[in-house]
Amino acid sequence: MINALSRYTILFTLTLLVLTILSFALIYMFPGDPLINLTGLVPQNDIQRDALIKQFKLDQSYPVQFYHYLQQLFLGNWGYSFISGQPLREEIGIAMPATFELSTYAMLVALVIGVPVGCYAGLKSYSATDYAINTASIFSYSFPVFWLALIFILVFSLEAGIAPLSGRISLLFEVPNVTGFILIDILLARDIDHALALKDAARHLVLPTLAIAMISTAAMIRITRRSVIDVMNSPFITAARSRGLSNRQIFMRHILRNALLATLPLMAIQVTTLITNAMIVETLFSWPGIGNWLINAINQRDYPALRIGVLAVSTMVITLTILIDIFNRLIDPSREKFERGTI
Amino acid sequence: MPMLDIKNLTLEMETGGTRVKALDRVNLAINSGEIRALVGESGSGKSLIVSAISGALPPQWHITADRMTWKGENLLTMRSDERREIMRRDIAVVFQHPIAAMDPSTTLGEQLEESIPNELVEGKLFWQRKQSRKRTAIGLVHKVGIKNHEHYLNAFPHQISSDIGQKFMIAMALVSQPDLLIADDPTRGMETTTKTKVLKLLTRLNQTKSLSILFVSHDLLAIANMAHTMTVLYCGQTVESGHMKHIRKRPLHPYTKALLDSAPSFRNDLPPKSYLPTLDGTIPTLQHVPIGCRLGPRCPRAQKQCVVTPAVRKVHDHSYSCHFPLHMDKL
Repeated sequence: MINALSRYTILFTLTLLVLTILSFALIYMFPGDPLINLTGLVPQNDIQRDALIKQFKLDQSYPVQFYHYLQQLFLGNWGYSFISGQPLREEIGIAMPATFELSTYAMLVALVIGVPVGCYAGLKSYSATDYAINTASIFSYSFPVFWLALIFILVFSLEAGIAPLSGRISLLFEVPNVTGFILIDILLARDIDHALALKDAARHLVLPTLAIAMISTAAMIRITRRSVIDVMNSPFITAARSRGLSNRQIFMRHILRNALLATLPLMAIQVTTLITNAMIVETLFSWPGIGNWLINAINQRDYPALRIGVLAVSTMVITLTILIDIFNRLIDPSREKFERGTI
Repeated sequence: MPMLDIKNLTLEMETGGTRVKALDRVNLAINSGEIRALVGESGSGKSLIVSAISGALPPQWHITADRMTWKGENLLTMRSDERREIMRRDIAVVFQHPIAAMDPSTTLGEQLEESIPNELVEGKLFWQRKQSRKRTAIGLVHKVGIKNHEHYLNAFPHQISSDIGQKFMIAMALVSQPDLLIADDPTRGMETTTKTKVLKLLTRLNQTKSLSILFVSHDLLAIANMAHTMTVLYCGQTVESGHMKHIRKRPLHPYTKALLDSAPSFRNDLPPKSYLPTLDGTIPTLQHVPIGCRLGPRCPRAQKQCVVTPAVRKVHDHSYSCHFPLHMDKL
């Protein structure tokens, strides 16, 4: 286990190092002044410029610059947005949890609906119900997420008028940003009507969550179904059946655990898709998340913001993927033995 | 009356419009208290018979039989929960690959404990029952010859060697105190000392608890001494069945003779460094089975008549299906 954990740690650190090298290279690869690309500050005169160059060690060799860059990253000095002039760390600190929140709810919906339905389809494999579930899941998996979000807006917001068009919460409610998760922040906030605010936030959440969850749920159903069918065909289920265990016992004790263990690594792959989808959907719903923020940065040629935003998003994705894998390793006894990662 | 009685069991599989007969009118009867050996080459359908008895056949198989009864109850028309009851109480199966037949995510102890039928668990409260289960499990594990129970009950299937796995499978099979134990090649891949131990264990169980055993194997040497009766299977057809000693002394079917001849320790007259006698060719694949007697193309005694499937004939307890049996003059 220690072996495996240290392998994960090394893998994680190296991947992050490569990412930081890339983001450092972006300073020079983006058009314009490296100093502005790095700091986001525009020097007013030559004296100020020289001082800044000295401060960020841009007059020294690349390795020294990179070392300084790493140090600043760790210290939390991520530079300033070129457009708003705000510290990037604060902006990302607000935008990132919003995305994370949206993806979490979508993932929850996908799990709550996808796993039971997938199990059911797997248990009834190759029956009419199974084919129906399969068809529905392929159908919803095939929607392009941006189109689906637009249709949702058209149907539910513009035509039916039952859900708000954009944003996280109505402007009437003043919710201070504490954790970044709107539902938790509402509960923490004082001087507002909690029930009303929660209801409003939930109405804002429904459409974007559903748009993302449609695709993830379909993927979940298909993964779970396949896994359940595989486990059901394995010899130990035959053996359990011949020992006279009831179907319920077999499902609860043997099928479910083995099937879910096998789906975990595939879920780790789904997380990437999920976050990508969340970033796309957020742009359409003006959800103040990292995707929306990055698109704005691209539109405004905000290079410092782009550099840090890309780094932050990829760090989040890598962290989640590795955490799920470690979790899987912890709970799956048959993965105890030392095995090398394969692609 | 035999305990398990199977007559004319036919298993067919649908492959692209045509039906392939994997088992062709197999007969098998097991009396209470006997050890019956079921022998045949790989691919002769031994394991299919086991699956058919235990009701673990995949749904693409079509099963038909004139008779398939367990203690007089028809297994084929039985409801699935009744069938499950029988499998839980009366019949136990030891499968071919012990490691694959165990849940990889559950410890051996848990799997053993869940096989204990409720009425064999003492105590009313759940911790008493848990204790009782644990005691039974430890006792069973000792009985099958595993000493280090602490270690093995907490181990996962991938952590144990296959002979320990095999013993665990036997323990799991014995837990419900069955009347019939179906052992599908339980000594496969074991070295001789372990094999002897397992065989001794089975013999002892047969003698002390009058457990009937259907011992499925292609290892004639292993079972020649312990089995009372033998059924020989070739390519999905039963070719001969009868008492072990009769068959060994005077096999009536050419295939049985070839099978016995190919095992060197049954032959005292074999000169040193000579070739073992074998039949030419190999067992046919299911797509290309010959009509009539399936041994036909390989049989040294085959004649024109052999394109018709021979009927089962009986001499005392010894039944065979061959048009031109051996040793007829001596009977």
